[in-house]
Parts: sequence; C-alpha cells; structure tokens
Amino acid sequence: MSLFEWCQWLQHTRFATAISESDYLFPLIEGSHILALPLSVGMIVILDLRLLGIAFCDGPAGKLVLNLLRWCKLGFAVMFLTGGLLFITQAGKAYGNVFFRAKLIFLLLLGINAVAYQKLFFPKMAMWDSASGAPAGAKLCAGVSLLLWIGVIVCGRTMAYQF
Amino acid sequence: MALLLLLLQSWSDWAPFVFVRDSKYGMPVVQSFHLMGLTILLVTVLLLNLRLAGLGMSDYGLSWLARQLKPWTLGGFAVVIASGLLMFLATPGKYLGSHPFRLKMALLCLALLFHFGVVRKFTAADSGARSRRLDVIVACLSLTLWFGVGWAGRAIAFVP
Repeated sequence: MSLFEWCQWLQHTRFATAISESDYLFPLIEGSHILALPLSVGMIVILDLRLLGIAFCDGPAGKLVLNLLRWCKLGFAVMFLTGGLLFITQAGKAYGNVFFRAKLIFLLLLGINAVAYQKLFFPKMAMWDSASGAPAGAKLCAGVSLLLWIGVIVCGRTMAYQF
Repeated sequence: MALLLLLLQSWSDWAPFVFVRDSKYGMPVVQSFHLMGLTILLVTVLLLNLRLAGLGMSDYGLSWLARQLKPWTLGGFAVVIASGLLMFLATPGKYLGSHPFRLKMALLCLALLFHFGVVRKFTAADSGARSRRLDVIVACLSLTLWFGVGWAGRAIAFVP
C-alpha cells in the first residue's frame, strides 16, 4: 500500500467517518486546535521575543522558560492530539495538498531548530543569561522560530480552503 | 438590518474588499492575520489571568507582568480588529444574520468591559491583602469571556 493509499484508507475508516459526520465532534476538535494556539505557539512567541531582547527582559530567560513550560507542554499536547484527529478525518485530501506539505516541513524545521538551540546554546545558558543578551546564534534560532510559526499558521489556515 | 446590509454592500466594491471576497487567497491571508493576532492577544490575556489566579508566571510580580504584557495585548487586539473588520466589510451578508457572530460581538463587548473595568484594576498593584478566591473568580470569568469570543467566532463557520 502506498502512502497515498494508506491516507485514503485512514480517511475512510469508521473512526474517521464518525468524526467527520458528527455535527459536534469536527467543529469541537477544529475549535480546540485553533484555540490552543495561544497556549502553545503563543508561549513560544513570548520566549522568542525574550531571547531577541524585545520584551519580558526582566531577569534571565531561563526563569521565563521554567514559568512557561508546564502550560506550553499542555498546549502542544492539545495541538498534536487535535491535529492528529483532524488529519485522520482528511488524510486523503491532505496528502497532495501543497499547504499541508509545507506546514509539515515547517514543523520539521521547527523541531530541528529547537534541537539545535537545545544542543548549542542551552547548556551554556547560565553563562550568557544573566547580564548580557543572548548570543547571536540563539537570537537567530528565536527569529527563525518566529518566521516558521507564522508559516505554520498561514499554511494551516490556507489548506482548509482547498478541501 | 436590511438597510444596514444595503449600505454595507454599497461599500463592498472597494478594491481591498473585492480582493478579500473574490480572490483565491484573499480570505485565507486575512484569516491568517486574524489567527496571529488571536495568538498574541490570547496568550497575553492567558498569562495575566494565570498569574492573577496564582497558576503560572509565579516568579514575576503581578503589576510588573501586567505592564509588560499591555502593549502586546493592545497590539494583538489591533491586528484582530483590523483583520476582523476587513472580513466583515468584505462579506457583510455572511455575518449580519449569523447568530454566532452576534454572540461573538456581545461576548467581545463583555470581555472588553471586564478587562478594562475589572482585570486592569486587579492587576494594577500586587494583590496584597485581597482574598485569593476573588482573584481566581476574576481570572476565570475573564478567560471564559475571551475564549468564549473565540469559540463563538469558530461557530460562525458551522452554525447559521
């Protein structure tokens, strides 16, 4: 079975059709996906702004991370759960959609960006975090993150118009 | 209402409205801005109310956090209103008769009144002697109103 065939099969499983044919489930899942934006992406944006030195600059960025982490994890859990369910109900249509593919690529790049930050700048955070601003590389990661999240939102919203 | 619709529709031939209404990517682009504005607006409201309720951002002072978040709340709000107005004026017929849209506008008014009338006062100074229970109630009400606006907005696409 090719990936496309698998997507089509997935979309036509009883589980998927039950969601897409329900009057309440699909709107509820889609609404949760959108309204989890502030809880997930919004928190990352706050952190990116801090690393770029634009806002919330009282005290170290590490303190901000610790304060945001718990809620941010919850936000991304909701995002991936609802996003997965939305995909299941529309897998066949999403497969060939250029905006859906771009969104996945942006998310992959965001993952790589986050790992790069974790490996390169996080271990030495205690050294640069107190007085001086973040190193140029860390700021680059934050800027890239902001741009990619904008891309994810634009692609996510636009793909729905093509189904 | 019919007169208002007629008036609004006479404006809707203005080029930016035509772009939003008739071009392939007009509406998705404006809605993307709406969602980006929503993300900024609601994360600032969320952080402020979580701090007020004592459920997050506990390492920061309440009044300091309120001052830091304020310009971003206003900025996010400006983007949401501008993009929302653009959608409304481009396709007034879609919204004027919509029940979820009316609910959304009513909730928006309540959320704004509550934010500037109550939440601002509660977060202007660090809470001091005030009862924790009152803070939690205010935070819950504020979040219910703001996220209610979001849910009503989403319902426009599904409910007549």
